Amino acid sequence: MKSPSLKKAKEIKLPSHVLDLTFGPGKKLYAACLDGGIYEVSTSFKPLGDNFQEIVRHDNYASGINWSASQKTLISASYDGDLKWIDPKEKKESKTVKAHTFWSWQSRLSPDGRLIATTTGQYLCGGYKYEPAPETEPSVKVFDVATGELRHSFPHTPPVQSVAFSNDGKILAAGNLMGEVILWDLTKDGKEIARIETPDFTGWGIIKGHYYTGGVFDLHFAPDDQSLYLVGMGSTTDPAAGNGKQLWQKFTWKDGPKKEGAAADGEIGQGLMETLAFHPKGKFFLMAGRLFKGNWNAALFDHESGSRLHQKNIGFRISTSAFTPDGKRLFLGGGANQGRPSEKKKWGRIVIYDVSS
Amino acid sequence: MPKPDPSQNCGSPDHNIHRRKFLQGLSAGAISSMSFAGLFGAPTFAEIANKKQKHCILLWLCGGPSQFETWDPKPGTTTGGPFKSIPTSVPGTHFSELLPKCASIADKLAIVRSMHTKAKEHTEGINLLQRGHAPRPPFTRPTMGSVLAQQLGQLDSKLPNFILLDPCPEGNEFKGFKAGNWAGWLGAEYSPVRVGGDYKIPNANRLDSISEDDHEAREALRKFFSKKYENDRKSSAAGSWNATFERVNGLMSCAHLFDLERIPQADRDRYGPGAFGQHALLARTLVEEGAPFVMVANGMPWDSHVFNHEIYQMVVPDLDNIIFQLTKDLEDRGMLEDTLVIAMGEFGRSPWINQARGRDHFPDAWSLAMAGGGVQGGALVGATDKYGAEVIEDPFNEENLFATIFSALDIDPHSEFEIDGFPTFHHVENKAAPISQILS
Repeated sequence: MKSPSLKKAKEIKLPSHVLDLTFGPGKKLYAACLDGGIYEVSTSFKPLGDNFQEIVRHDNYASGINWSASQKTLISASYDGDLKWIDPKEKKESKTVKAHTFWSWQSRLSPDGRLIATTTGQYLCGGYKYEPAPETEPSVKVFDVATGELRHSFPHTPPVQSVAFSNDGKILAAGNLMGEVILWDLTKDGKEIARIETPDFTGWGIIKGHYYTGGVFDLHFAPDDQSLYLVGMGSTTDPAAGNGKQLWQKFTWKDGPKKEGAAADGEIGQGLMETLAFHPKGKFFLMAGRLFKGNWNAALFDHESGSRLHQKNIGFRISTSAFTPDGKRLFLGGGANQGRPSEKKKWGRIVIYDVSS
Repeated sequence: MPKPDPSQNCGSPDHNIHRRKFLQGLSAGAISSMSFAGLFGAPTFAEIANKKQKHCILLWLCGGPSQFETWDPKPGTTTGGPFKSIPTSVPGTHFSELLPKCASIADKLAIVRSMHTKAKEHTEGINLLQRGHAPRPPFTRPTMGSVLAQQLGQLDSKLPNFILLDPCPEGNEFKGFKAGNWAGWLGAEYSPVRVGGDYKIPNANRLDSISEDDHEAREALRKFFSKKYENDRKSSAAGSWNATFERVNGLMSCAHLFDLERIPQADRDRYGPGAFGQHALLARTLVEEGAPFVMVANGMPWDSHVFNHEIYQMVVPDLDNIIFQLTKDLEDRGMLEDTLVIAMGEFGRSPWINQARGRDHFPDAWSLAMAGGGVQGGALVGATDKYGAEVIEDPFNEENLFATIFSALDIDPHSEFEIDGFPTFHHVENKAAPISQILS
């Protein structure tokens, strides 16, 4: 296989940091942003001034945006704990469901678009060393997209920062601050089928303060659903620095949790990795995030060998990523520094890369 | 169970005499012609003797706590972050939603939202807010704790007059500061005794093989020779060492007071399981035993260059509970009006978010809270603009703050230090005014 590579095609500025993006009907792009806005974004390559239009606003950071083709609705999620059903044609919300009393950290649709999972949980002091306190509400919830009804509630230790459906839609996985990932079988009334514990993703502060930071920030099932990839930052003793290793790890679980692969030390720098996306052909995946030290914050890795195939320093922090269904383009969302209010800076970013493979 | 008498410590009645004011009185009055009993007949000393012991607990939020997630929320603005504001028991005053317990006792808290200082980095910020003045080499100004130890401390106290409870041994710049000179020109006897976490008081028990009488005899002999050495050589260094030894010796009789395990579990549960809460509770018990100044720190967890909101969702509720429990406990024990509680760091945090989801250092406009002795509950002073980027009403700096703290504790902020051979230094320079709006 020829090594894949990325070539920058376009950069779009939005009012604030992009936490999530999705492709909607008619190849339209939608972004969930830190200012609470859900934006329809024009990816036209003609210079048209502002490339975005706000369609819905949450009361707090908008953390998720998902398009269900089967149910023909967008569903956004927010730090206000709400899920909003949005009609893309009317560009307005049709329904709001209070999913959590705290933030929705991440939300994901099942592959058939019929279920939406969302995670929550506040990190509160639960021990002398600031171990997380137990949850006060279910940390993982699954709702029916057609009706908005709650279909599953799962316990976990908060905060639960990431969630993913398997490609066949039968398994749900969710990861937390402490590097604990639980897998549930949705075909068996949500029975817990595995628990992966990888403290490599969390750091207890020694240098600046005694508390935990990090966690599993994104996870993704491999195309054959035989393994699960976790993304985040390696352990650090200085939680105020964000200087842990750029980290992914690959686990199987069917015969008990087993680590099958990880980012090689010689191929990674330091910084929080927040997003992972598989290329539609399933041969390689992207991991991206923030660069603390090193020369890249977005890199392509070979699914089979785990070796790094290509890397880029995007120049700003990446929080979300998506390949187009044909695999020819990669969209990365994130943001630069906010800047002083007087600057009225558009600090959100979506950058589009052409993918050659 | 009877409540402990806060005017007592280590059981010795001479602790009731305020050391500094006693000495000031000696130098001010015609003492030589008075009998010891007559001394207390003079109005000055009667007044002093009748004064209640003042105490101060400093919750040192090292690293620089964010004003947005605590005392000066800006919900709905581009700089406000994800946390909302909530009303408090004081109409019109709102705190961050992360402080619901403090909101319920806002009428007992005094909030300053308009601190405006100049130190942008930790080392200079810690020095500035611990000493109350910018450096003036080669002189080293004593820290707030050292000054209060001298001013509020008790004659020959067994319990240290300056206690630093800090369970986190590390802390980058704060670690460096901790290793430095706290007491400055006041001398080593006003340095803190550091306890907490990994820092225990070791070997504090008298060996069984030495009787109490033998121990006292040895101590008398040691004291005699040490003082003779100090006097013969006119050595201030020897004086400092002797003072330090006295303090260590005193700790032998007070070591049990530093044991968290002796505190009832119900109290420990109320303060929360974290190290900061447990040591704040220990501070309360030490003040009950008579300690004049206790500083509680926990490394630099407030320095949120990365994950500001992810960290503050945890550390602020912890602080919320600590301030609430401390204030209520002191009030329940009748000690709140004589104990000043201060919660502050060396600066605030930037309104704008950086790429690492963090807030950076920000001395331009920041907040702090006080409660108890000498300050007016429910007071809210100063204001910042819509985005929290500038002070727009009543700016105050470190000198105003120190003048406020000293005034609240009945110390003349503009009085001079008595140090031979030094230029004239005042407890607060430039005749800086206290923040009168919060003084009771």
